Amino acid sequence: MNKRSFIYEDAPDENKFSACVHCGMCLEACPTYQETGMEMHSPRGRVYLIKSAAEGKLELNSFFRHPIDTCLDCRACETACPSNVQVGALIEETRGQFFQADPPRGLSAFLHRLFLHKLFPYPKRMRMLGSLLKFYQKSGLQTLARKLNLVKVLPDHLAEMERALPELKRPPVLASGIEVLPAIGEKRASVAVVTGCVMDVVYSDVNEATVNVLRKNGCEVWIPQNQTCCGALHVHAGDREMAKKLAKANIDAFLARDVDAIIINAAGCGSAMKEYGELLKNDKEYAHQAKQFAEKVKDVSQFLLELGLIAPKASLNMTVTYHDACHLAHAQGIRSEPRTLLQSIPGLNLIELPDADRCCGSAGIYNLTHPEMAGRLLERKMDDIPHGCDAVAMGNPGCMMQFAVGVVRHGRKEEILHTVQLLDRAYREEERLQGGEQRG
Amino acid sequence: MDKVDKNKLNAFIQFAKDLLGDMYVLHRYEDLVAYECDAYVIHKGAPSAVVFPADTEQTAQLVRYLHEHEIPFLPRGAGTGLSGGAIPLHGEVIISLTRMNKLLHVDYLNRRAVVQPGYINLKLTHSIAAKGYYYAPDPSSQASCTIGGNVGENAGGAHCLKYGVTTNHVLGLKLVTCEGDVVEIGGVPDTPGYDLLGLLTGSEGTLGIVTEITVRILKTPQAVKTALALFDDVEDASRAVSDIIARGIVPAALEMMDKTAIEGVENGNYPVGYPRDIEAVLIVEVDGIEAGLQEQIDQVIEVCRQHRVREVVQAKNDAERAAWWANRKTAFGAMGTISPDYLVQDGVIPRTKLPEVLLKIRKISERYRLRIANVFHAGDGNLHPLILFDARVPGETERAVKAGSEVLKVCVEVGGSITGEHGVGIEKMEDMRVLFTEEEIAAQTDIRDVFNPRGLCNPGKMFPQPARCVEVKKPASMEIS
Repeated sequence: MNKRSFIYEDAPDENKFSACVHCGMCLEACPTYQETGMEMHSPRGRVYLIKSAAEGKLELNSFFRHPIDTCLDCRACETACPSNVQVGALIEETRGQFFQADPPRGLSAFLHRLFLHKLFPYPKRMRMLGSLLKFYQKSGLQTLARKLNLVKVLPDHLAEMERALPELKRPPVLASGIEVLPAIGEKRASVAVVTGCVMDVVYSDVNEATVNVLRKNGCEVWIPQNQTCCGALHVHAGDREMAKKLAKANIDAFLARDVDAIIINAAGCGSAMKEYGELLKNDKEYAHQAKQFAEKVKDVSQFLLELGLIAPKASLNMTVTYHDACHLAHAQGIRSEPRTLLQSIPGLNLIELPDADRCCGSAGIYNLTHPEMAGRLLERKMDDIPHGCDAVAMGNPGCMMQFAVGVVRHGRKEEILHTVQLLDRAYREEERLQGGEQRG
Repeated sequence: MDKVDKNKLNAFIQFAKDLLGDMYVLHRYEDLVAYECDAYVIHKGAPSAVVFPADTEQTAQLVRYLHEHEIPFLPRGAGTGLSGGAIPLHGEVIISLTRMNKLLHVDYLNRRAVVQPGYINLKLTHSIAAKGYYYAPDPSSQASCTIGGNVGENAGGAHCLKYGVTTNHVLGLKLVTCEGDVVEIGGVPDTPGYDLLGLLTGSEGTLGIVTEITVRILKTPQAVKTALALFDDVEDASRAVSDIIARGIVPAALEMMDKTAIEGVENGNYPVGYPRDIEAVLIVEVDGIEAGLQEQIDQVIEVCRQHRVREVVQAKNDAERAAWWANRKTAFGAMGTISPDYLVQDGVIPRTKLPEVLLKIRKISERYRLRIANVFHAGDGNLHPLILFDARVPGETERAVKAGSEVLKVCVEVGGSITGEHGVGIEKMEDMRVLFTEEEIAAQTDIRDVFNPRGLCNPGKMFPQPARCVEVKKPASMEIS
């Protein structure tokens, strides 16, 4: 009976689950508990199951796996928890056990390998994929495919994503091959920028805006060419081995040069990179460097405020609401920073989104693996967007994609933007006006 | 009591699936494990099944079936109870009310709201705040706990000092009786006849399942003022408490935490930044009409100064007040930062006995070699000693339980009681004997048997077991509709 069920490396840490005293303060913070009202789909319930498995009361079978898989890893429970129980890390470690005990098979194995092993870690392949997508959009193939209803063969959510996919106007930032971009005006800091894998293909304009905003604020920007995918999705899926490989590659790439900060504009990647220390804590060679690296990682909004934002002077007359990405608000505690940035833009009217920090259902690839639950959460999110908003701002590409799907599904008009895109827009407007003044 | 017979259970599961749909019936071992306990973790027992009715009618049908087939059952809200009331020690079927989580009606003119039992306590206040109203009972778990559970336990909270506990706010109930009939009780103030609302509120799920609750809502006070006082001596803090009340001030809340409790909350997720070397902190809140309120809080501050307070400050704004309360209200959960397990007691004592009782608790702590953190609603003398232990260490759980019982004995000895707001549940069943004679207990179980003739609804809770004669003496079953 007392045989422990976690026999693989990186087992859920006893110190982490013994801190849970089962008080239940996390229950209503959890989106899946809110939806189901079922204890095993709550943070407290999941931790209890993990504890039970560690005591040998549960086997690593599909019935135990189900509630562990339905977790969004949104960390809302960590905000609510009086005792700072690291539920996210416990879930990830448990998924690691399942990944080793029962590796993905069949189609899911194929997709896991294709995306998480063969595509995301390779910027060049991602670029190729981007070019293909662009070709698909530009060549008339997309129009044709839609006319012929070919997208129907895709699962519903993917088909909607196909419709919601932004037009890929800009080439990936990493592909420019430019390594260092000078500060505009007086140099105040030197930073390295993480371009990300999906971000740089689907939302390379967000990366461009990030680089531009940093330069405008006196940062010399370095884009390490050897960087790779952060490994967040791998950790979420329990593929810790691959995640560690990627983490090490990034540590090597970014610690090659001494910078003031490593800047990231994707909440999910940011929190994963801030947790490299935890991921590699048992690695003799990398443990120390991982901590060093993690300490340097800053979300772009966090860094700009620490540095002291040079506020844009031109106004943007827009009404904007802000959605808290889980991995910014709950995992990194970054809530006020993006709002302060938005409020620093003259003319911009920021209104609060009710329950702004409740998960939108994107959660990495959760919207693909659990479309039903993700859809329910998206529905609630769309209902919450106040009337009269021109745009919804946020700090994570996964959420942007999910909101884009919501906008398409509900025939809404709001622009879905990253916080830095609005800042960038204001700076560009400022430049345009100054240019006009000089000419006139 | 034996576990539920397998064939009987399978037939019930099929019945429940047909009635509710497959997804609302849990019966696999892995799914049931999470229901082994509520927020009281010393005793555990897995249910035979968990069912999730959507409305009163489904609840009644489930109960009727369970009654007819003599399968024990119990209602469960959020499972944040602290005395084990929702723990299925004998494999009871859990009727989970989390799907019945709606606010049905708000009647602002008559100041009442009708909610389903699974509706979250704090949501009621959030839903009516914009119109200037709130729901007063505020257990610390109010962000998660259900109003149905609050009725079951007659829950209190920090602000019950001035506003009273749940029973003072319940105006009417819809009840599924233990046999599956639906009855409505109360609804109009001062119903003639026996006060059944009073009996049902706090009956810990032993008299039936509440499926609709009409509660009183109150006008949000015009103003609130809060003071925070740090003391170097617990006795000074205790005397200040008595003195504040003696001056005729009725604070909305008067809370205290001792050094060990402070250590927990300051290590937790919502630290205030209390100096680690203080012995006690008091939070005193007054509310009401703006005029004269500042004078009241000034008086409170003055009393604290007379009792050698190290520092006393007034909340500058709502954000600061909220931070103090978030810290206080997460105190139990924050114990996880200094101990893997805790047992919380809920004794009530006359306020004036506070210094004496605290000293005795300290002695008990030393004798049992277990740390005890004290968090309490000092204003109404409701103590929450948190006995810290590690269940993994052989013998510690038993020591903690014994220490807890001794604390309760001390409370009764000075003229108090064994529970203020957490209920008896499993935890304090045996301690009921400290407070009541066998006859008094039998008189109460007689009442229970009128409502719960077959003893199927949350059996083995609240009252100590033996009293055999009482269990045998069953009144004739009421007609099953």
